[in-house]
Amino acid sequence: MITLGDYLIVSGILFAIGFAGVMLRRNLIIILMSLELMLNAANLSLVAFSRFRVSPAGLPNYNAQVFVFFIITVAAAEVAVGLAILVALFRARQTTDVKDISELKF
Amino acid sequence: MSYLELLKLASTEAVVVVTALVVLAIGLTTRREATGVTVATAQGDQNVGGSSSARTNAICSFIAALGLAIAIGTALMLPRKATLFSGMLVITPLTSLFKIICMALAFFAVLLTKSEKSLRHPGEYLAILLLATVGLMLLVSSEELLMIFIGLELLGLSLYVMVAFDKTDVRSAEAGLKYFLFGSTSSAFTLFGISLIYGMSGITSLAAISEKLATVSVQPLLAVGIVMTLIGFAFKIAAAPFHLWAPDAYQGAPIPSAAFIASGSKVASFVVLGKIVLVGFAPLHGDAAWHAMVAGWSPVLAALAALSILVGNFVALAQSNLRRLLAYSAVAHAGYTLIGLVAGDREGFSAALFYTTTYAITLVGAFGVVALVRRETAGDDFSNFSGLISRSPMLAGCMSIFMLSLAGIPPLAGFFGKFYLFSVALRADAGHGLLWLVAVALFGSLISLYYYLIVLKVIFVDEPSLAIASSPDHLSPDLLQRIAVAVLAAVVLFLGLMPDALAAGLLAAMP
Repeated sequence: MITLGDYLIVSGILFAIGFAGVMLRRNLIIILMSLELMLNAANLSLVAFSRFRVSPAGLPNYNAQVFVFFIITVAAAEVAVGLAILVALFRARQTTDVKDISELKF
Repeated sequence: MSYLELLKLASTEAVVVVTALVVLAIGLTTRREATGVTVATAQGDQNVGGSSSARTNAICSFIAALGLAIAIGTALMLPRKATLFSGMLVITPLTSLFKIICMALAFFAVLLTKSEKSLRHPGEYLAILLLATVGLMLLVSSEELLMIFIGLELLGLSLYVMVAFDKTDVRSAEAGLKYFLFGSTSSAFTLFGISLIYGMSGITSLAAISEKLATVSVQPLLAVGIVMTLIGFAFKIAAAPFHLWAPDAYQGAPIPSAAFIASGSKVASFVVLGKIVLVGFAPLHGDAAWHAMVAGWSPVLAALAALSILVGNFVALAQSNLRRLLAYSAVAHAGYTLIGLVAGDREGFSAALFYTTTYAITLVGAFGVVALVRRETAGDDFSNFSGLISRSPMLAGCMSIFMLSLAGIPPLAGFFGKFYLFSVALRADAGHGLLWLVAVALFGSLISLYYYLIVLKVIFVDEPSLAIASSPDHLSPDLLQRIAVAVLAAVVLFLGLMPDALAAGLLAAMP
């Protein structure tokens, strides 16, 4: 039997992988993918909470499921904006490596 | 709840959205004609396209400003109190007041846009600015985690584009990318935190969460959720150690974007952060007093505040670019403002909001001066400002008002804001528990005086550097923008002389 705790552990691991990817990887495309992973970790935990918080009438708590639809939409918009900025930068610099992007400094 | 009634209560947002669409349409149609001209003629006629672009810019700015003015009018006519969909859209005197403040700040950002020559697509730019304003208004007027998240994202995504908008400047795209990466990481943190809070309380409306939290004991998962949510907001207000995007964004972005991030985005973020911690997490206040720390959100915010004040002020000392200096000082000011939230009651919240509002007005003005100087000297390092007094006494005077207000010199608005904050923080705890935080803040203000005075020394004492002296010297008359800067300086002075005009209104509007 899969419990709420199991889902939360998986979602926590996904979030950690995503965060590690954002922090450690140097390629911007992979960083964007890792960002998506972090958002989806939140989606997973929301859906799990919704499924396991059954109301007295036996229905799941639908608030979180509606929330997840909004997050999916927002994630798509975020990727669109991220890729657009990436293209603008690539045209100027011909690179997708974050190490090469250091015009602005302390 | 009929749709007509919904439209009436959300009329302010609706007007701004419609304005954004109109501006976008105008920008698209006129742009097409302009490119047609440049394609048809040879390179020599470049200025034809240029002047047409300037005309488009003027038309679009005028319509955007008009739309915002109408929207402010509709905000004045909103009912005093209303609640839609269990807190998704709330109208109280406080939200109406801050909607108006946000729109006024956006109005001045639009005025700054008018003279920005480097923006090749003014219609699109202004439309995005207006959409960001809608995001601000949603943030201010919602007491429900889903809507707050949507507002945050609408604001954030618009701002990323606004920062990266100047395609002719490679630094703009870089600043946009950094802002985007930090921003979306932190919004993922907020979202994960929200999901945990939802899981623990089973609900997303702030008032209901607070009722729920009062009854349950604090579990580790809930604590993680709260800290993660706070991290996301600490990023938005640029509190250390989540401030790393701010200097780059302030320096690399087109000036209206930087001014908007420093003002509107900050004000709305403080309003919503205050609502979340003081309404939603009210039972978990904790205690930030030095000897009697109790776990809760207020010690977390107190630590962020102290760190921001120290980091912001010390790093600002080393800057030689005015926009970077403003960015680091923004970090320090975020720290001061957090003190009000740590103090935590009605009075603390209103002190924080008074401070952040006056700060926002000051920064829009300072960026207005930077924009005018940058147009003439093509830069915003200290050397570009040297001897500004001989070139334009009026701008130099306004800049000194803004800088002295940021430093907290009476009789300017910044002085009263700091005084109000610190006195509230001292009174908040019977045993003066927040004295340590106030001491840190006073120490920080002392340091900040040094670098603000350096700016004034550059403007008033230094000789104009040769490169600038040989260039056509007099700042061209951009009357509207000068008037805007002068009006902002007058407001800063007025709020310093009669702080009650805003402070009493804020306190009365507090729930």
